[in-house]
Amino acid sequence: METKPSNGSPAKFVDQLVVPGDVILDLSTMAEQTIKLGGGLRQDCDAISVIKAGILRFSKPNKYWVESSQKRYVPCAEDSVLGIVVDCKPDNFLVDIKGPSVAFLPVLAFEGGTRRNIPRFEAGTLIYVRVVKANPGMNPELSCVDATGKAAQYGALKEGLMFECSTGLSRMLLSSPTCPVLETLGKKLPFEIAVGLNGRVWVNAGSPSIVIVVGNAIMKSESLTKVQQKIMAEKLLQRVQQE
Amino acid sequence: MDSRLANTWRLTVNEKKFIETALASDLRIDGRKPLEYRKLTINFGRQVSVPIFRPFFFFFSCWVLSVMEDGSADVQLGHTHVMGFVSSQLVQPYRERPNEGTMSIFTEFSPMADPSFELGRPGESAIELGRIIDRGLRESRAVDMESLCVLAGKLVWAIRIDLHILDNGGNLVDAANVAALAALLTFRRPECSLGGENGQEVVVHPPEAKDPLPLIVHHLPIAVTFGFFSTEYTMVVDPTHSEEAVMGGRMTVTVNASGDICAIQKAGGVGVPQSEIMRCLRLASDKAESITKNIKDAVEAFNTERMLRKIKRHSTAVAANVSIENDVKGQKDKLAGQRVNESSMSQMERLKLKPDESSISQNDGLGSETRSSDQISSQRAEGNAPLFLGGPSSWDPHTHGVDPDFLKASLAAQGKSNPKAEQSSEDSDDDVAMQEKDASEDVKPPSLATDSSETVEEQKTSIVKKTLKDAVKPKNRRRKKTRS
Repeated sequence: METKPSNGSPAKFVDQLVVPGDVILDLSTMAEQTIKLGGGLRQDCDAISVIKAGILRFSKPNKYWVESSQKRYVPCAEDSVLGIVVDCKPDNFLVDIKGPSVAFLPVLAFEGGTRRNIPRFEAGTLIYVRVVKANPGMNPELSCVDATGKAAQYGALKEGLMFECSTGLSRMLLSSPTCPVLETLGKKLPFEIAVGLNGRVWVNAGSPSIVIVVGNAIMKSESLTKVQQKIMAEKLLQRVQQE
Repeated sequence: MDSRLANTWRLTVNEKKFIETALASDLRIDGRKPLEYRKLTINFGRQVSVPIFRPFFFFFSCWVLSVMEDGSADVQLGHTHVMGFVSSQLVQPYRERPNEGTMSIFTEFSPMADPSFELGRPGESAIELGRIIDRGLRESRAVDMESLCVLAGKLVWAIRIDLHILDNGGNLVDAANVAALAALLTFRRPECSLGGENGQEVVVHPPEAKDPLPLIVHHLPIAVTFGFFSTEYTMVVDPTHSEEAVMGGRMTVTVNASGDICAIQKAGGVGVPQSEIMRCLRLASDKAESITKNIKDAVEAFNTERMLRKIKRHSTAVAANVSIENDVKGQKDKLAGQRVNESSMSQMERLKLKPDESSISQNDGLGSETRSSDQISSQRAEGNAPLFLGGPSSWDPHTHGVDPDFLKASLAAQGKSNPKAEQSSEDSDDDVAMQEKDASEDVKPPSLATDSSETVEEQKTSIVKKTLKDAVKPKNRRRKKTRS
């Protein structure tokens, strides 16, 4: 969604809590500029207003979106998500990505995908995918290749444990610099992790106990600050190593 | 179909496999041991500051619904969140049990708790949950039903337990059962007694008049759920949401703290040998003991706080200036409450009497007196509240010394409404009328005074006659008068 002008100072709203109905930008005061709107924002004529509660984010040069933490996921293009295969259809896999409707994964959307080599996914397979299209009123479309057509880590995830969390927590896990829980645990314990922006996290490790420790540490860190997260993770490590 | 596909919660193949492999080494995905219960937190709803109390008085069809802050409990078992709410109403008992109250359980599975719950008809799991809890509570006679009888065969209290599932983290049965018990333990029903001349009339006392009564709960049947996995009789206590999706069978044992088994429910296809069931029963009675203690502690804490709150409320009522006014009003409300039934009946009679008021029967005089004195006291209470500070008898609208100015003013207003009556009785005691007139000259226009002087006289005498007894039980006396 693109709109033309932008100039006014939305700075007072950026990184602040906004609620539905807040007007963050007045387009009539800006000219000859392009802004890009992400989730949670809407254009009413000359006003850009908020349609969901959360924190307004701004990324240079011109991207605006609202970040919130919720249990359900609103699909957004270019998000990497963890999906569960629900059903196989001749043309599409139906994938549950915690959205309002199931998403379609075309059977050809794999690296080097042709009619001959369609992957076989049974119902319940966990896959790491990218959202390609997310238009309102349509089922979102997924893909297992990145923009250049490479597999790039996308695809089925084997073994391990997937658990659900809020979208806010998964965004925190993906943020850079690496969040303290993952950093602290990662120094001592070997594990694999895949985080989907739709509030799903998959963890795999050599032994089930490590998976459980990491999984619970992540889930607990939802309401903790960075320092608290670090302390919690260190205490946990001490206990694990004693046993 | 599409929305249903998106809304059902499903388990991945990975998760299923992981749960099974982890259990093989005695690990569960939330870090518990197989026989460990999750943390149980019980809160009580005390946010409601104003109890809503709606009494209706009829002869035999009493329909009292009391919604109060008592009787609501909020239970969290790990991730699972259940709210229990108990309410009561007076109903006719079942014919085969004329002297027992009734108890019913209603469950509500909100789609907020789990996307797979749908609005509308209760699903299979909702009915099963209600039945298990119902069986545990009713068949074991945990709640004393006979004490809920008000009038055998005519009126009993019906207890209704509403269970709202707010978040589904697995093991809803246990959490809902604890919520039901906690709500029952803190529930208080209004006290009611039999009154009226034939002793068949039910009077429900508002909570301000008489303290509401708790239910009599003999013992606490605690439900403990076990999950069985098909592999080598693996068994866990208190399964979580994802474990519930993987496990093959489950068994809910309802036991009380002393180890009596109240109910057993076994669901799912996995066969369980007898020895395993016996082991479960032993484990369940252990858990029941600790959960009972948990519930009792929480209830006790709540009750203490309740008592403390009450004491505080009283002390502020005495100390504060405004509250005296409230006190007077409360007294009046109480009286009014007792009189509601009476007044609804005598309303008709009074209406009948109105046209031939010229004959001024004793009864009518009394009726109008009560009305006017009420009026006065309310005027005083609202207008002259500071005057009452420390006044010795300000609490009672009937016995306090009536301020003549107010009396006259209000009576004058009343007298104006039916001048016919005054005219007919003009020729009575002139002296008193003159006196009244003199005294009241400064308050109201003289023309009104002359009009109403007679009524004032009439009613003043009836005020003098009244005692504290009249204030407490006005209805018997009035009915006698009506009949005579």
